[in-house]
Amino acid sequence: MTTPAASFAVRSSGTALRRSAVAAVVLSAVALAAACGGSSSTSGSAGSTAAGAPVHGGNLVIARVADSESMNATTVFDNESIWVFEQIFQMLYTVSPNGKSVVPQLATSYTLSKDKKTYTFTLRKGVKFSTGQPMTSADVVFSIDQARKASQGWGYIDGAIKDVKADGPDKVIITTKYPWAPLVADIALFANGIVPKNYGGESETEFYTHPVGTGPFKWDYWHKGSALKLVKNTHYWEKGKPYLDSVTWTAVGNDNTRQLQLEGGQVQIDEFPPFSTATSLKSTPGVHLNVFPSTRTDYMMMNERYAPLADVHVRRAISYAIDRQALVKAVLFNQGKPANSFMPPQVPYYDPNSPGIQYNLAKAKQEMAESKYPHGFSVQMLLGAGESNERAESQIIQQELQPLGIKISYRQVDPSVEFSDQQQFKYQLGFSYWTMDIADPDELVSFAVDPSQGAKSFYTDYSNADVIKWTHEAERTFSPSQRRELYAKIQAQAAQDAFMVFMYYSPYLYATSDKVHGFYVYPTGNYHMENVWLSK
Amino acid sequence: MDLLSYTLRRLLQAVPVVIGVTVLVFFMIHLVPGDPARTMLGTHADPARIAALHKEWGLDQPLWVQYKDFMSRLLHGNLGDSLYYQESAGTLIMGRLPATIWLLAYSTILSIVIAVPLAALAASKKDAARDQVVRAVPMIGLGFPPFWLGIMLLLLVALHSGGFFPVGGYGNGFTGHLQAMFLPSLTIALGISPILIRSLRASLLNVLESDYIMTARSKGISERRVMYRHALRNGVISTVTVLGINLAFLVGATVVIEQVFAVPGIGQLMLNSIFQRDFPIVQGVTLVFAIMVVVIYLAADVVHAMLDPRVRFD
Repeated sequence: MTTPAASFAVRSSGTALRRSAVAAVVLSAVALAAACGGSSSTSGSAGSTAAGAPVHGGNLVIARVADSESMNATTVFDNESIWVFEQIFQMLYTVSPNGKSVVPQLATSYTLSKDKKTYTFTLRKGVKFSTGQPMTSADVVFSIDQARKASQGWGYIDGAIKDVKADGPDKVIITTKYPWAPLVADIALFANGIVPKNYGGESETEFYTHPVGTGPFKWDYWHKGSALKLVKNTHYWEKGKPYLDSVTWTAVGNDNTRQLQLEGGQVQIDEFPPFSTATSLKSTPGVHLNVFPSTRTDYMMMNERYAPLADVHVRRAISYAIDRQALVKAVLFNQGKPANSFMPPQVPYYDPNSPGIQYNLAKAKQEMAESKYPHGFSVQMLLGAGESNERAESQIIQQELQPLGIKISYRQVDPSVEFSDQQQFKYQLGFSYWTMDIADPDELVSFAVDPSQGAKSFYTDYSNADVIKWTHEAERTFSPSQRRELYAKIQAQAAQDAFMVFMYYSPYLYATSDKVHGFYVYPTGNYHMENVWLSK
Repeated sequence: MDLLSYTLRRLLQAVPVVIGVTVLVFFMIHLVPGDPARTMLGTHADPARIAALHKEWGLDQPLWVQYKDFMSRLLHGNLGDSLYYQESAGTLIMGRLPATIWLLAYSTILSIVIAVPLAALAASKKDAARDQVVRAVPMIGLGFPPFWLGIMLLLLVALHSGGFFPVGGYGNGFTGHLQAMFLPSLTIALGISPILIRSLRASLLNVLESDYIMTARSKGISERRVMYRHALRNGVISTVTVLGINLAFLVGATVVIEQVFAVPGIGQLMLNSIFQRDFPIVQGVTLVFAIMVVVIYLAADVVHAMLDPRVRFD
């Protein structure tokens, strides 16, 4: 799902990234990668400096901008909650470290029937909840059913599921209403995390005040608005893990204070330091700047209900006129890169050769001349008050569109009103962004280019019959090569139609103490604290 | 009228003030654009889900109905439930209140500890070098924005204190609080002290020219005893009022200090709740702030009356 195009390195106030733990084999590789390195800045790998064999013990503190909201995995949308409860709940499958596929977690394998509608999952043996109670197929059925029922939460992601039932203690059968290729990726969503059947005899509300799962950590306390602590789950199924005795997340709203706490050794991880501090962090002794590839893509939306923006030549002209590298420099301090597709590189079937429009003023003028508005027009840009990135972007874009005769005026509103106005098409130009929740492009593609999906093509009203047809075909096609072909066509056509300006891809920044090892953030934004250890 | 009756009467008089504050805050926070349901459900939440949350929270009701419900709950001692945390607003606020009270009390003590000796030093020899220095140097503190001063104290003191002063936070246990809250309290105290020093110095100079001080000096009492035993009690009277007014203003300033020092107090809770449009918390914290201001003013008046027997409780 998406988050508001707003402050980078600050909490994303809406829906967003996510996902949970990973299978043992894959994680071992990640942990190994994390132990490598040594420079003060790491790009796309994990952890800090070389440190030898993992050490058990230690209490790690992560400082972040905001507190969690709720531990109810089926209904909550904020990352500050999700990244915490992903240490408690695990799924049958989970996203792979590169974000492009799924790997077994609480299941060991699955089979698919010939009609492509029945999945049989074999559960991992020896898995226990943190209470010591063994996990069974009944727990899995109960958990997925609860997620499906969450109509005000993530229930829609399981919309293709017709039925979930147990087949003995170690097998679970999931039947879909129709052939649905993203099913296993959907099951790997954190909302489908496994909890004890009937919440262990408690009400749902009671249960989520001290949740129980099969993950590497278990509940300790939550001082709301201030600190949340998890402690080691001694019943965890991965032998020898977790290494840490506890993990505490603290809410420290001020960027400077978080950085000073890291320097002073009071915390070991600073989540999302501002991009503007990247250079100084790289040269700070004892601190390591980690740059993890993400699935975040930032867009400028063009509302096609505003007549000039319904003209494809105008949209292309705007898209050609915007210098994405200038945006990367101004907003990301060169920490990101220009986008060539509405899909980010860390999503399966992303096409690196997708012909997404790039800066070319001559072509912009040529497209403008071919449009119904060769002399330009006036257009209003919707901005979130206090959103400094949007402000910087809008000023650059305003100047860049001037040669085309396009005059931009601004309308600033409260960020939550901004999203509401976008949904109601009360805007002409606006900003938004997307991050992935699952390891399948369908979540983004259907949201972005299928006007029948409620979002009306990312609230642009873009509609292309071929793109819609290919989107539906891709949902029901199981062959990876065929899906790749379909998604390449979708990306190329969407780029050709310039339904949004694909601006840039940005990474996740994490500053860590050089005592932290094995810390790796997946493109979906989640991390696995069972692999993390602290050197003495 | 005795002290108890006076205090009770003043508290009763404060009730309409506090209610007035709740009315203002209730309607103002609802006038601010933004929707808590949308904030919670995210950018592209389904309108049906947003509508369902509105209904669940009663936000689909007319504003006057919401206010009636709010007041009805308030009269039963119930501030409602936080929309964000789905937990009693009263419990959340009470959990955060000790940190803010610590901050206010600690900064008051530090302000007095800084102001009284310096004012006495300055007043002991009017226009001398020490007087000029005491009058000038603390004014620098007044010119520093609290958030900047706070960051500087973290950078220059906390970071090099070997963990004695934590870089933000509230600490654990009494000693932990004493250490963790020192720098945030000092930040506040450095902002108030210049005003207190000037006020107290002026009062002391006035008092030191009184006949009874001359009598004391003529009896051969030491200058130190004259100052601390005889002059200070009278000199401090007007400063108590100045301190009360400044502390009342500082209740609002805790929002900034708590943010910089990551102190989990009600100021920080208020700030986050405004961003989250968590109406019950904003209303509840404002109510607590209003009560604190009333109590601080009342305390200043009572202390004033106790120090000056000429002031009567009527």
